[in-house]
Amino acid sequence: MPRILTIEDDAVTAREIVAELSSHGLEVDWVDNGREGLTRAVSGDYDLITLDRMLPELDGLAIVTTLRTLGVSTPILMISALSDVDERVRGLRAGGDDYLTKPFASDEMAARVEVLLRRNNAAKAAQTALRVADLELNLISREASRADQPLSLLPTEYKLLEFLMRNTGQILSRMMIFEEVWGYHFDPGTNLIDVHIGRLRKKIDPPGLTPLIRTVRGSGYVIAEPV
Amino acid sequence: MSLLNPSNGWRSSSSRLLALYSSLFVAWSCILMGVLYYEVSAYLGDLSRHSLMQRQHLFQHFEGTQLDEALATSMTFDMKGIDAYGLFDGQQRPLSGPLQQIPAGLPLDGRIHALANCIESDDPTLPRGSCDAVATHTQDGRWLVLVRDNGSLLGVTRIILQALFWAISLTILPGVAGWHLLRRRPLRRIRGIQASAEAIVAGDLTHRLPLSNRRDELDMLAAIVNAMLERIEKLMNEVKGVCDNIAHDLRTPLTRLRAQLYRIKQQADEDSPLAWQLDAVISETDTLMARFRGLLRISELEDRQRRAGFRVFAPLPLLQELHDVYLPLAEEGQMTLLLQVPAALPPITGDRALLFEALANLLSNALKFTPPGGEVILRGIDQAGSTRIDVLDSGPGIPEAERAAVFQRFYRVEGGQQQGSFGLGLSIVAAIINLHGFRLEVGSSERGGARLTLECRPQPPL
Repeated sequence: MPRILTIEDDAVTAREIVAELSSHGLEVDWVDNGREGLTRAVSGDYDLITLDRMLPELDGLAIVTTLRTLGVSTPILMISALSDVDERVRGLRAGGDDYLTKPFASDEMAARVEVLLRRNNAAKAAQTALRVADLELNLISREASRADQPLSLLPTEYKLLEFLMRNTGQILSRMMIFEEVWGYHFDPGTNLIDVHIGRLRKKIDPPGLTPLIRTVRGSGYVIAEPV
Repeated sequence: MSLLNPSNGWRSSSSRLLALYSSLFVAWSCILMGVLYYEVSAYLGDLSRHSLMQRQHLFQHFEGTQLDEALATSMTFDMKGIDAYGLFDGQQRPLSGPLQQIPAGLPLDGRIHALANCIESDDPTLPRGSCDAVATHTQDGRWLVLVRDNGSLLGVTRIILQALFWAISLTILPGVAGWHLLRRRPLRRIRGIQASAEAIVAGDLTHRLPLSNRRDELDMLAAIVNAMLERIEKLMNEVKGVCDNIAHDLRTPLTRLRAQLYRIKQQADEDSPLAWQLDAVISETDTLMARFRGLLRISELEDRQRRAGFRVFAPLPLLQELHDVYLPLAEEGQMTLLLQVPAALPPITGDRALLFEALANLLSNALKFTPPGGEVILRGIDQAGSTRIDVLDSGPGIPEAERAAVFQRFYRVEGGQQQGSFGLGLSIVAAIINLHGFRLEVGSSERGGARLTLECRPQPPL
């Protein structure tokens, strides 16, 4: 079972993070100050760290920098009350793997944790093809097929499908999709992502076949084996 | 916003002052010279009458040939063309002297009379024009006529008028030169003040108006404005501080609220009415959080600390990317999204991601307000060496009265449109454009809808 270290000084927020991550089947340890957090993180027993940017005693940014300097490569999700546009860049540049601004939705936080955990999975990283039911995506030739019928995908559609399939079974928020596929960090409005998903759907879920992409009301999208 | 341009000359206060001073000087000189003229000519008139009277009295004491000799002698001392005499017999026939006839209209009463036209003769040694004349009955029954030109006063008049002319010229010419010199210096200082004021209007509240060491009126004014700015800056910082504190304090409760609602929803049965209600509440909370993040984002952008992240980049790939991202959205709404770009566009200096966000917002709005079947154009133009980006649509357009207001936070187009509000989108756009110092202009497109023009060149101070 993956182990998560949560470094967060606000007790209520921490309780919510712990509760949410535990409900996803993760084992979570909570530390409420930077000094102890750093000591535990260095021990390297964790698969992922959620890190508050502003902490008493030792600042979140300093913790990331120290960990990376020490060669600890545990994925880090930074959670910050500082939404400053530059702050995000600074956090990621220091070695954070993802950045979430308060106020945040706990399900989105959990989704980001899951995505980070999968990304770091060595076995998955070496894959040359992704498969969901009869949908196949060849990562080398960059070709997709559904039920042995080749699909012609535009570059954006390919990136979108790859992101969904790398996180099979994982609900991905529109914001996460926009950030990952297009690389921008602002709210593009719900419509835009919906339309792009709609186009992809038309290609991979033609009438007559079991739909693989599901819309999760209020949360986002997921690609999964049909139940 | 542009400040009032100081005028180049005539309207400046030093010009007005000098003009007033000059005209007062001219008027005063005229009065002075007039009075002088009046006094001098009255005095000279008196003098000439007196001299005539003296001669009259002198010659009354002579008789017969003595008188003839005295007159002939006095003539050698007389000024030619000024004084003249004539001796006439009882029948007024000329006997001796330069005068050959008694001036017309001179009463033979022994009193001095002023005549407008005394002698009709071409002799240059005789006085012409106006004169004082007197006809005296001598003791031996002859008439002695004495004439003195008072026209020499005209000479005085000429002298005075000349003096007046020179005085006025010498007042006006140095006045104009002085005006040129005097108005330039205050204007230069006003321009300095204007430049500082524009920086302040553009949002740099730390800027102050320049002060000189002269402690004159302009400095007093600048000092007053600076004191005012000091206060405004302090108030703004206080307000911003309060806003930031509120924002900071709200982040954690909002996060907790959303998390707890989500947990309650997960515990509820998926198909129960409660779950539906919770979904609605959670979606409201998400909207609330999105708005909140938007507000925070604008206030960060307004802090103007991001210029360090500016890079030079090519606009064409950016426009192409925008077109690719929004084309499906347009097609979904049965609209045409056209990309019109030349083969090359001048590079832009700025934050590519932020400009992408700004243009994405503009496109998103254009698509939102354009009816199905309509057309939205994303156009890049090379305008005098810098890139201009137009977003045109065939929607209802933005009424002229509302063009400035659409960039305010949460502004909605009037008229009960169902399509929703611009929300924070355009305020974020405005904040991004301001950060870059670019200019965004709202107008009408040739397609009948709105035209939003982004000039990607830092605007020079006005």
